[in-house]
Amino acid sequence: MWAAKAKTCCRQLRDRVLRLLADGFTPDRHWIQNHIANCPRCQRRLARLGNVELAISMLKSQPHNLDLLMRANTQAIGVLKHCLRTTAKAERLRNIRPDLSIIERCSRYKHSFANVAACIAIAILMKSGAFSSAKMFESKGQKAVENYYASNAGEDIARDIFTTNA
Amino acid sequence: MTGRAVSIELLWDIPIPKALEQTQGWVLCAMQWHGRELVNMLWRILGNEQDVCDAYQDTFLKLAHHEHGCKPENVKAYVFRSASNIAISILRHKLVEKNNLPPRITAQHNMNSPAAELDTRYMTEALRAGIAELPEHLRDVVTLHDLGDLPYEQVAKILGITAATARVYRCKAVQLLAVWMRKETR
Repeated sequence: MWAAKAKTCCRQLRDRVLRLLADGFTPDRHWIQNHIANCPRCQRRLARLGNVELAISMLKSQPHNLDLLMRANTQAIGVLKHCLRTTAKAERLRNIRPDLSIIERCSRYKHSFANVAACIAIAILMKSGAFSSAKMFESKGQKAVENYYASNAGEDIARDIFTTNA
Repeated sequence: MTGRAVSIELLWDIPIPKALEQTQGWVLCAMQWHGRELVNMLWRILGNEQDVCDAYQDTFLKLAHHEHGCKPENVKAYVFRSASNIAISILRHKLVEKNNLPPRITAQHNMNSPAAELDTRYMTEALRAGIAELPEHLRDVVTLHDLGDLPYEQVAKILGITAATARVYRCKAVQLLAVWMRKETR
Protein backbone atom coordinates (compact mmCIF):
# COMPACT_ATOMS: atom_id res chain seq x y z
CA MET A 1 0.00 0.00 0.00
CA TRP A 2 2.78 2.36 1.07
CA ALA A 3 4.89 1.35 -1.92
CA ALA A 4 2.03 2.09 -4.33
CA LYS A 5 1.52 5.51 -2.77
CA ALA A 6 5.23 6.29 -3.00
CA LYS A 7 5.24 5.20 -6.65
CA THR A 8 2.33 7.52 -7.49
CA CYS A 9 4.06 10.36 -5.65
CA CYS A 10 7.31 9.75 -7.55
CA ARG A 11 5.47 9.68 -10.87
CA GLN A 12 3.69 12.95 -10.08
CA LEU A 13 6.99 14.55 -9.10
CA ARG A 14 8.65 13.31 -12.29
CA ASP A 15 5.78 14.67 -14.37
CA ARG A 16 6.10 18.05 -12.66
CA VAL A 17 9.86 18.23 -13.19
CA LEU A 18 9.48 17.24 -16.83
CA ARG A 19 6.76 19.85 -17.34
CA LEU A 20 8.95 22.49 -15.74
CA LEU A 21 11.88 21.48 -17.91
CA ALA A 22 9.71 21.56 -21.02
CA ASP A 23 8.49 25.05 -20.16
CA GLY A 24 12.01 26.28 -19.54
CA PHE A 25 11.24 27.57 -16.03
CA THR A 26 13.89 25.81 -14.03
CA PRO A 27 15.66 27.21 -11.02
CA ASP A 28 19.01 26.49 -12.73
CA ARG A 29 18.02 28.24 -15.91
CA HIS A 30 20.66 30.97 -15.67
CA TRP A 31 23.34 28.50 -14.63
CA ILE A 32 22.49 26.32 -17.66
CA GLN A 33 22.56 29.31 -20.00
CA ASN A 34 25.93 30.47 -18.65
CA HIS A 35 27.35 26.97 -18.91
CA ILE A 36 26.26 26.56 -22.52
CA ALA A 37 27.68 29.96 -23.40
CA ASN A 38 31.13 28.83 -22.19
CA CYS A 39 31.13 25.11 -23.04
CA PRO A 40 31.98 24.24 -26.66
CA ARG A 41 30.98 20.59 -26.19
CA CYS A 42 27.47 21.53 -25.07
CA GLN A 43 27.26 24.09 -27.84
CA ARG A 44 28.01 21.40 -30.42
CA ARG A 45 25.44 19.08 -28.89
CA LEU A 46 22.79 21.79 -28.89
CA ALA A 47 23.62 22.66 -32.49
CA ARG A 48 23.12 19.01 -33.45
CA LEU A 49 19.76 18.94 -31.69
CA GLY A 50 18.88 22.16 -33.48
CA ASN A 51 19.72 20.48 -36.78
CA VAL A 52 17.18 17.75 -36.08
CA GLU A 53 14.51 20.28 -35.18
CA LEU A 54 15.33 22.19 -38.36
CA ALA A 55 15.03 19.02 -40.46
CA ILE A 56 11.67 18.24 -38.82
CA SER A 57 10.37 21.71 -39.59
CA MET A 58 11.64 21.39 -43.18
CA LEU A 59 9.81 18.10 -43.51
CA LYS A 60 6.65 19.71 -42.18
CA SER A 61 6.86 22.71 -44.48
CA GLN A 62 7.05 20.71 -47.71
CA PRO A 63 3.66 21.02 -49.43
CA HIS A 64 1.92 18.27 -51.37
CA ASN A 65 -0.49 18.56 -54.29
CA LEU A 66 -3.93 19.81 -53.36
CA ASP A 67 -5.64 16.79 -54.90
CA LEU A 68 -3.60 14.23 -52.91
CA LEU A 69 -6.37 13.57 -50.39
CA MET A 70 -8.88 13.09 -53.20
CA ARG A 71 -6.57 10.66 -55.01
CA ALA A 72 -5.78 8.74 -51.83
CA ASN A 73 -9.49 8.46 -50.99
CA THR A 74 -10.33 7.28 -54.51
CA GLN A 75 -7.63 4.61 -54.39
CA ALA A 76 -8.62 3.44 -50.91
CA ILE A 77 -12.36 3.34 -51.65
CA GLY A 78 -11.61 1.37 -54.82
CA VAL A 79 -10.53 -1.65 -52.78
CA LEU A 80 -13.39 -1.58 -50.28
CA LYS A 81 -16.55 -3.66 -50.56
CA HIS A 82 -18.93 -2.85 -53.40
CA CYS A 83 -21.69 -1.78 -51.04
CA LEU A 84 -19.38 0.80 -49.50
CA ARG A 85 -18.01 2.01 -52.85
CA THR A 86 -21.47 2.95 -54.12
CA THR A 87 -22.60 5.03 -51.14
CA ALA A 88 -23.11 8.77 -51.29
CA LYS A 89 -20.47 9.26 -48.60
CA ALA A 90 -17.91 7.40 -50.72
CA GLU A 91 -18.76 9.63 -53.64
CA ARG A 92 -18.29 12.72 -51.48
CA LEU A 93 -14.93 11.40 -50.25
CA ARG A 94 -13.81 10.72 -53.82
CA ASN A 95 -14.48 14.34 -54.72
CA ILE A 96 -13.28 15.89 -51.48
CA ARG A 97 -11.48 19.18 -51.82
CA PRO A 98 -8.91 20.45 -49.37
CA ASP A 99 -11.35 22.83 -47.70
CA LEU A 100 -10.02 24.87 -44.87
CA SER A 101 -11.61 24.52 -41.46
CA ILE A 102 -13.67 27.40 -40.03
CA ILE A 103 -10.77 28.45 -37.80
CA GLU A 104 -8.35 28.45 -40.75
CA ARG A 105 -10.83 30.31 -42.93
CA CYS A 106 -11.38 32.94 -40.25
CA SER A 107 -7.69 33.24 -39.45
CA ARG A 108 -7.15 35.93 -42.09
CA TYR A 109 -9.74 38.09 -40.33
CA LYS A 110 -8.23 37.56 -36.90
CA HIS A 111 -6.49 40.95 -36.88
CA SER A 112 -9.73 42.71 -37.83
CA PHE A 113 -11.61 40.75 -35.14
CA ALA A 114 -8.96 41.68 -32.60
CA ASN A 115 -9.16 45.36 -33.58
CA VAL A 116 -12.96 45.43 -33.37
CA ALA A 117 -12.87 43.64 -30.00
CA ALA A 118 -10.29 46.11 -28.71
CA CYS A 119 -12.41 49.07 -29.89
CA ILE A 120 -15.52 47.64 -28.21
CA ALA A 121 -13.59 47.04 -24.99
CA ILE A 122 -12.20 50.60 -25.05
CA ALA A 123 -15.68 52.03 -25.72
CA ILE A 124 -17.18 50.04 -22.82
CA LEU A 125 -14.39 51.10 -20.48
CA MET A 126 -14.71 54.74 -21.56
CA LYS A 127 -18.46 54.72 -21.16
CA SER A 128 -18.42 53.18 -17.71
CA GLY A 129 -15.51 55.40 -16.67
CA ALA A 130 -17.14 58.56 -18.05
CA PHE A 131 -20.44 57.89 -16.29
CA SER A 132 -18.88 57.14 -12.93
CA SER A 133 -16.67 60.24 -13.26
CA ALA A 134 -19.68 62.40 -14.14
CA LYS A 135 -21.55 61.20 -11.05
CA MET A 136 -18.54 61.85 -8.85
CA PHE A 137 -18.09 65.29 -10.41
CA GLU A 138 -21.76 66.14 -9.82
CA SER A 139 -21.72 65.16 -6.13
CA LYS A 140 -18.45 66.98 -5.48
CA GLY A 141 -19.72 70.09 -7.27
CA GLN A 142 -22.89 70.06 -5.24
CA LYS A 143 -20.91 69.81 -2.02
CA ALA A 144 -18.68 72.71 -3.06
CA VAL A 145 -21.70 74.93 -3.82
CA GLU A 146 -23.31 73.92 -0.52
CA ASN A 147 -20.14 74.89 1.36
CA TYR A 148 -20.04 78.21 -0.50
CA TYR A 149 -23.63 79.02 0.46
CA ALA A 150 -23.03 77.90 4.03
CA SER A 151 -20.02 80.16 4.44
CA ASN A 152 -21.54 83.24 2.71
CA ALA A 153 -25.30 83.06 3.30
CA GLY A 154 -25.46 80.96 6.40
CA GLU A 155 -25.88 77.29 7.15
CA ASP A 156 -29.67 77.45 7.61
CA ILE A 157 -30.27 78.91 4.16
CA ALA A 158 -27.84 76.47 2.54
CA ARG A 159 -29.54 73.55 4.27
CA ASP A 160 -32.97 74.81 3.16
CA ILE A 161 -31.88 75.19 -0.46
CA PHE A 162 -30.04 71.86 -0.77
CA THR A 163 -32.48 69.75 1.25
CA THR A 164 -35.42 71.06 -0.84
CA ASN A 165 -33.40 70.45 -4.05
CA ALA A 166 -32.44 66.98 -2.91
CA MET B 1 -39.56 -23.35 -61.87
CA THR B 2 -41.28 -20.01 -61.80
CA GLY B 3 -41.62 -20.30 -58.06
CA ARG B 4 -37.88 -20.92 -57.70
CA ALA B 5 -37.09 -17.91 -59.84
CA VAL B 6 -39.36 -15.79 -57.72
CA SER B 7 -37.71 -17.03 -54.54
CA ILE B 8 -34.24 -16.14 -55.91
CA GLU B 9 -35.55 -12.74 -56.88
CA LEU B 10 -36.88 -12.30 -53.37
CA LEU B 11 -33.51 -13.27 -51.97
CA TRP B 12 -31.91 -10.50 -54.02
CA ASP B 13 -34.45 -8.09 -52.65
CA ILE B 14 -33.30 -8.71 -49.09
CA PRO B 15 -31.39 -5.57 -48.15
CA ILE B 16 -28.00 -7.27 -47.62
CA PRO B 17 -26.02 -4.34 -49.04
CA LYS B 18 -27.85 -1.99 -46.71
CA ALA B 19 -26.91 -4.10 -43.70
CA LEU B 20 -23.29 -4.25 -44.78
CA GLU B 21 -23.28 -0.55 -45.38
CA GLN B 22 -24.46 -0.02 -41.84
CA THR B 23 -21.92 -2.39 -40.36
CA GLN B 24 -18.91 -1.07 -42.26
CA GLY B 25 -19.98 2.53 -42.72
CA TRP B 26 -17.56 3.47 -39.94
CA VAL B 27 -14.68 2.79 -42.34
CA LEU B 28 -15.84 5.69 -44.49
CA CYS B 29 -16.48 7.77 -41.37
CA ALA B 30 -12.89 7.12 -40.25
CA MET B 31 -11.71 8.16 -43.70
CA GLN B 32 -13.75 11.33 -43.47
CA TRP B 33 -12.58 12.24 -39.96
CA HIS B 34 -8.92 11.25 -40.07
CA GLY B 35 -8.13 11.23 -43.80
CA ARG B 36 -6.64 14.71 -43.96
CA GLU B 37 -4.35 14.21 -40.94
CA LEU B 38 -3.33 10.77 -42.20
CA VAL B 39 -2.40 12.05 -45.65
CA ASN B 40 -0.31 14.82 -44.10
CA MET B 41 1.49 12.36 -41.83
CA LEU B 42 2.11 9.87 -44.64
CA TRP B 43 3.36 12.62 -46.93
CA ARG B 44 5.85 13.76 -44.30
CA ILE B 45 7.06 10.21 -43.67
CA LEU B 46 7.27 9.10 -47.29
CA GLY B 47 7.67 12.24 -49.39
CA ASN B 48 6.21 10.55 -52.45
CA GLU B 49 2.57 10.90 -53.50
CA GLN B 50 2.15 7.43 -54.99
CA ASP B 51 3.60 5.87 -51.85
CA VAL B 52 1.22 7.99 -49.77
CA CYS B 53 -1.77 6.69 -51.76
CA ASP B 54 -0.54 3.08 -51.41
CA ALA B 55 0.01 3.37 -47.66
CA TYR B 56 -3.38 5.07 -47.23
CA GLN B 57 -5.10 2.30 -49.21
CA ASP B 58 -3.38 -0.44 -47.19
CA THR B 59 -4.36 1.29 -43.94
CA PHE B 60 -8.06 1.37 -44.74
CA LEU B 61 -8.00 -2.10 -46.24
CA LYS B 62 -6.49 -3.34 -42.98
CA LEU B 63 -9.13 -1.41 -41.03
CA ALA B 64 -11.97 -2.89 -43.09
CA HIS B 65 -10.65 -6.43 -42.53
CA HIS B 66 -9.86 -5.98 -38.84
CA GLU B 67 -11.08 -9.13 -37.08
CA HIS B 68 -13.50 -10.09 -39.89
CA GLY B 69 -14.88 -6.60 -40.30
CA CYS B 70 -15.34 -5.69 -36.62
CA LYS B 71 -14.85 -2.10 -35.55
CA PRO B 72 -11.71 -1.61 -33.42
CA GLU B 73 -12.17 -0.15 -29.95
CA ASN B 74 -10.21 3.00 -30.79
CA VAL B 75 -10.45 3.62 -34.52
CA LYS B 76 -8.18 6.67 -34.48
CA ALA B 77 -5.40 4.84 -32.64
CA TYR B 78 -5.71 1.84 -34.94
CA VAL B 79 -5.68 3.93 -38.10
CA PHE B 80 -2.74 6.11 -37.07
CA ARG B 81 -0.59 3.23 -35.82
CA SER B 82 -1.33 1.12 -38.89
CA ALA B 83 -0.58 4.00 -41.25
CA SER B 84 2.65 4.80 -39.44
CA ASN B 85 3.80 1.15 -39.50
CA ILE B 86 2.91 0.69 -43.16
CA ALA B 87 4.67 3.92 -44.11
CA ILE B 88 7.80 2.97 -42.17
CA SER B 89 7.96 -0.44 -43.85
CA ILE B 90 7.63 1.22 -47.28
CA LEU B 91 10.34 3.69 -46.29
CA ARG B 92 12.67 0.91 -45.12
CA HIS B 93 12.08 -1.01 -48.33
CA LYS B 94 12.98 2.08 -50.34
CA LEU B 95 16.11 2.68 -48.26
CA VAL B 96 17.26 -0.89 -48.84
CA GLU B 97 16.66 -0.45 -52.57
CA LYS B 98 18.60 2.80 -52.52
CA ASN B 99 21.50 1.23 -50.66
CA ASN B 100 21.67 -1.52 -53.27
CA LEU B 101 22.16 1.03 -56.06
CA PRO B 102 25.72 1.63 -57.30
CA PRO B 103 27.56 4.30 -55.24
CA ARG B 104 27.94 6.50 -58.35
CA ILE B 105 24.17 7.10 -58.39
CA THR B 106 23.67 7.51 -54.64
CA ALA B 107 26.64 9.74 -53.84
CA GLN B 108 25.25 12.97 -55.17
CA HIS B 109 26.30 15.07 -52.19
CA ASN B 110 29.62 16.09 -50.87
CA MET B 111 28.89 15.23 -47.23
CA ASN B 112 31.62 17.42 -45.80
CA SER B 113 30.55 20.62 -47.47
CA PRO B 114 28.58 23.10 -45.35
CA ALA B 115 26.20 23.55 -48.26
CA ALA B 116 25.24 19.87 -48.02
CA GLU B 117 24.45 20.25 -44.34
CA LEU B 118 21.92 22.94 -45.11
CA ASP B 119 20.54 21.24 -48.18
CA THR B 120 16.84 20.70 -47.52
CA ARG B 121 16.59 17.52 -49.52
CA TYR B 122 19.61 15.97 -47.96
CA MET B 123 18.53 16.87 -44.44
CA THR B 124 15.00 15.56 -44.88
CA GLU B 125 16.26 12.33 -46.43
CA ALA B 126 18.73 11.85 -43.58
CA LEU B 127 15.93 12.49 -41.09
CA ARG B 128 13.59 10.01 -42.79
CA ALA B 129 16.33 7.39 -42.79
CA GLY B 130 16.97 8.08 -39.11
CA ILE B 131 13.29 7.83 -38.21
CA ALA B 132 13.06 4.47 -40.00
CA GLU B 133 15.95 3.20 -37.88
CA LEU B 134 14.60 4.35 -34.52
CA PRO B 135 13.33 1.81 -31.97
CA GLU B 136 9.58 1.32 -32.27
CA HIS B 137 8.55 3.10 -29.05
CA LEU B 138 10.57 6.23 -29.93
CA ARG B 139 9.59 6.16 -33.60
CA ASP B 140 5.87 6.02 -32.82
CA VAL B 141 6.09 9.19 -30.73
CA VAL B 142 8.09 11.09 -33.36
CA THR B 143 5.81 10.06 -36.23
CA LEU B 144 2.60 10.80 -34.36
CA HIS B 145 3.68 13.99 -32.61
CA ASP B 146 6.03 15.62 -35.11
CA LEU B 147 4.81 14.24 -38.42
CA GLY B 148 1.18 13.63 -37.51
CA ASP B 149 0.80 16.92 -35.61
CA LEU B 150 -0.95 15.21 -32.72
CA PRO B 151 -0.55 16.72 -29.23
CA TYR B 152 1.30 14.70 -26.58
CA GLU B 153 -1.96 13.86 -24.79
CA GLN B 154 -3.42 12.22 -27.90
CA VAL B 155 -0.15 10.46 -28.72
CA ALA B 156 -0.11 9.10 -25.18
CA LYS B 157 -3.69 7.88 -25.53
CA ILE B 158 -2.95 6.17 -28.84
CA LEU B 159 0.20 4.47 -27.57
CA GLY B 160 -1.15 3.68 -24.09
CA ILE B 161 1.50 5.66 -22.21
CA THR B 162 1.47 8.89 -20.22
CA ALA B 163 2.04 12.29 -21.85
CA ALA B 164 5.21 12.74 -19.78
CA THR B 165 6.60 9.44 -21.08
CA ALA B 166 5.79 10.53 -24.63
CA ARG B 167 7.80 13.74 -24.01
CA VAL B 168 10.74 11.73 -22.68
CA TYR B 169 10.62 9.35 -25.66
CA ARG B 170 10.55 12.29 -28.05
CA CYS B 171 13.56 13.81 -26.32
CA LYS B 172 15.49 10.52 -26.57
CA ALA B 173 14.52 10.12 -30.22
CA VAL B 174 15.80 13.60 -31.08
CA GLN B 175 19.11 12.87 -29.31
CA LEU B 176 19.53 9.63 -31.26
CA LEU B 177 18.61 11.31 -34.54
CA ALA B 178 21.13 14.07 -33.85
CA VAL B 179 23.92 11.51 -33.38
CA TRP B 180 22.95 9.52 -36.49
CA MET B 181 22.55 12.58 -38.69
CA ARG B 182 26.00 13.75 -37.59
CA LYS B 183 27.50 10.36 -38.43
CA GLU B 184 25.95 10.52 -41.89
CA THR B 185 27.43 13.93 -42.58
CA ARG B 186 30.91 12.65 -41.72
